[in-house]
Amino acid sequence: MTALLDIRNLTAVFPGGRRREPVRALSGLTIALEKGESLSVIGESGSGKTTLLRCILGHVSPSEGSITLFGQDTASADGAEMTALRRRCAMVSQDPYGSLPPTLTVLEAAMEPWLLVRGKHAAGEGEERARNLLAELGLRDETILSSRVRLSLSGGQRQRVAIARALILDPELLLCDEPTSMQDASTRGEIIGILAKRQQSGMSMIFVTHDLFLARKAAPRGIVLHKGLVVEEGLCRDILSAPKHPYTRALVAALPRLTSHGRPK
Amino acid sequence: MKGLLKRWSFWCLLALAALALFGTRLFDALPETEVAAPFSKPLWLDRSLPPTMDLELTGARPAAELDWTFGAPSRFSLRVETGDPSPSRFVEWTVPGGKTFRLTPLRNGTELDGRDMAFKRSLGLPPFGDASSALFPEKGIYRIGLTGEGEWEGSVKIRLEGGRWGLLGTDQRGRDIAALFVAGIRVSLLVGIFATLLATFLGTSLGLAAGYRGGWTDAVIMRAVDLLLSIPLLPILMALAALWGKGLWQLILILSVFSWMGTARTVRALTLTLRDAQYIEDLRGLGAPSGYILRRHLLPETLPVLLATMTLGVPGAILSEAGLSFLGLSDPRVISWGRMLHEAQSFGAFTAGAWWMLLPPGLGITLICLVFLDLGKYLEERVDPRLRGGNAL
Amino acid sequence: MIDIRNLSVTYSRMTSEGRGSSAAAVKNVSIAIRKGQFSALAGESGSGKSTVLMAIPGLLPPGTAVSGEILLDGKNLLTLPENELNRIRWRRIAIVPQGAMNSFTPVLTVGRHVEEVLSVHLGLSRKEALDRIPSLFALAGLDGELARRYPHELSGGQKQRAAIALALACSPDYLLCDEPTTALDVITQQGIIATLKNLVEEKGLGLLLISHDLPLAASVADRLHILKDGELVEEGDPGEITARPRNPHTRALVKALLDLEEES
Repeated sequence: MTALLDIRNLTAVFPGGRRREPVRALSGLTIALEKGESLSVIGESGSGKTTLLRCILGHVSPSEGSITLFGQDTASADGAEMTALRRRCAMVSQDPYGSLPPTLTVLEAAMEPWLLVRGKHAAGEGEERARNLLAELGLRDETILSSRVRLSLSGGQRQRVAIARALILDPELLLCDEPTSMQDASTRGEIIGILAKRQQSGMSMIFVTHDLFLARKAAPRGIVLHKGLVVEEGLCRDILSAPKHPYTRALVAALPRLTSHGRPK
Repeated sequence: MKGLLKRWSFWCLLALAALALFGTRLFDALPETEVAAPFSKPLWLDRSLPPTMDLELTGARPAAELDWTFGAPSRFSLRVETGDPSPSRFVEWTVPGGKTFRLTPLRNGTELDGRDMAFKRSLGLPPFGDASSALFPEKGIYRIGLTGEGEWEGSVKIRLEGGRWGLLGTDQRGRDIAALFVAGIRVSLLVGIFATLLATFLGTSLGLAAGYRGGWTDAVIMRAVDLLLSIPLLPILMALAALWGKGLWQLILILSVFSWMGTARTVRALTLTLRDAQYIEDLRGLGAPSGYILRRHLLPETLPVLLATMTLGVPGAILSEAGLSFLGLSDPRVISWGRMLHEAQSFGAFTAGAWWMLLPPGLGITLICLVFLDLGKYLEERVDPRLRGGNAL
Repeated sequence: MIDIRNLSVTYSRMTSEGRGSSAAAVKNVSIAIRKGQFSALAGESGSGKSTVLMAIPGLLPPGTAVSGEILLDGKNLLTLPENELNRIRWRRIAIVPQGAMNSFTPVLTVGRHVEEVLSVHLGLSRKEALDRIPSLFALAGLDGELARRYPHELSGGQKQRAAIALALACSPDYLLCDEPTTALDVITQQGIIATLKNLVEEKGLGLLLISHDLPLAASVADRLHILKDGELVEEGDPGEITARPRNPHTRALVKALLDLEEES
């Protein structure tokens, strides 16, 4: 079975400016993802996680290495081929404030990708899908659905709209970057559950987060990214219980836990 | 938008628009018609002067009385219209004290004017005498009527021209200034709004194109902006008016060509910031055509700013039109406030002391500019909460 | 100690048409902040946590309706005149507000910021202020050399520590921090929390930490308070609250969090 996503030796270097050093965002990454498989990418800001997602979608060209998405090499794909590949994916960005069009209503924002790809004649079906998705994500109130994104939506609500917008085309591969960061703790689990349902139906997911607990819940397998390098990989629960790399160890030790109150070691 | 109803400028604009559309019905004649003596003062100004008066004698009302408390009118004229001439009957004028004058027999089409030498002779005056003073020697009751008895069909129209007329007096040609003022609203609003609309349309399209496409498109458009901005407005307007003619629509076109640049710059700046938003990149990745992105996302984002900029641009267009008209570079057949000022200045309103010719159009221009400035300020406050003052929570 | 008793705060919100509408942000909250103790106030966004913090040094917007008492050494801070409050701010009670690390003036070095506080509040001369900076920065876990850097030259964690140093300038008795680690990486966060813990233990400060991150607040506080919709729903030892939450909402929250942490 050909892999859904096959990344080999991916390196991305951003050139420096007059006063800046060049930045090695990613160095020699190799990841393989089969259809229906999910992966957690554990990393903090500056680890290269955002660059990784942008490379997969073809927004950033690798300096070295190759990315094969749905069996096609992204470097040699032309505009139309790349667009076709992207239509089978979806991304939930880290910043919910820039990822939703401010002038549309919530419902319109969720429907937009569907209308774009399927055409205006599929609007009825699109609206039904959007409503169902938003309801599943806890946004049922008609006043919210018809209010403009720009006004009065909290960060948490925006994130959920962004997730609906990503899921409406039933992507084969979902890329998410801290999709629950603005949610209250009680709703984080819910959202991961919603994503899990789709994973069970065959959707692959790359879940980027700094929170190892979330990573463990989102996908069984994970890699730890630090300054552009994969420093550890394996099952998330193994990484959490027995971290090997010093960075991973420091990360695990720093995670706030409800179960260890009192003075930190 | 409820705050709009509280702004004085909104109601003022509605009133002006209503006047522009229906105002001419308030007046009996077209604005261009001569209604009274030139440079007549407004009725409320100097009550010692006689007002311009029209009298009519008909078959049903063959006599009229006047209680005259003024000096003599400046001109006396009379016209007979009848299908039933009665040459044996006369129009008779009685002054206080009883003396009567026979003015004319009732023949169709007779026109008498106080300045005619023949008329003066018939009154027994020397050729350079003053018919009006002879007919109006003192204050008192005057009577005008028909001699003879019997029924009569037709009308005798008498006009006594005084020094006063109407709400705002008359201009150098005897046209009602109030009527001209109302007619002028139309031009000001038309030029102001259309020129600004056209300029905004041009500016928005070019600004969006420059900001979104970047590269050569951006460079070319921005150099055009620089070029046009460096040309001084009034001299070029004068030159173009001389070249292309003085029509109203030429004026609107020229004004728009020279005022789209500010909007273009603003829209371009806005587009540059929006262009790199994550959702725009996502949409482009999904294959959304540029036209869709511009139409559905970038344009609506710029609209609030545009509305405010547009409203604030109207006074500029109005002032440019007024300026050009004042310099005499507009269509003479079109009544505008600037044109009124031009005629006042060229035809001696200053020497005649006829300030009522200058103040209404001048104040009118000021008022309409203030109205749009206030509305524009209101719209700006609505768009940008920071300008509202107070806690913007 | 800072004794907050029955504090209620209602904002008056002016809409654009000039009509007022009110929202009760804090309802009848009582919290005690003791010296030498690490207190934490946790709650979801919008629960009123920042309002409680801003009420203490009298920094709520004018026109806000406040009732209750905030007692410090027997004096009610809510009724003190402005000039007396000014003597308490920075010198006895210092705050690190939300987003403090992004609120530095970009054209001044961080050292200059500290100098300004010292000269305004303690009347120190430039030289005296400069002498104090190394020890102050050390308290906050920063190298004294960094005083010469501009804010944009520091990392997020360094800026937050600089904000803490700024708050500590006049050796206050109480330090109130609003979401000091929200935008920072987990490892950096751990370091800053350790620094704050140290200040409580070594210097005997009374610290109040505000956070929406319940595990963080629970793992580090001596005394935990949980706010929901402006009301105090839990109060006490973090271990107690986690093991036996009284409020149904807290129970659900703790269950969801433990579910995440202890999944096998």
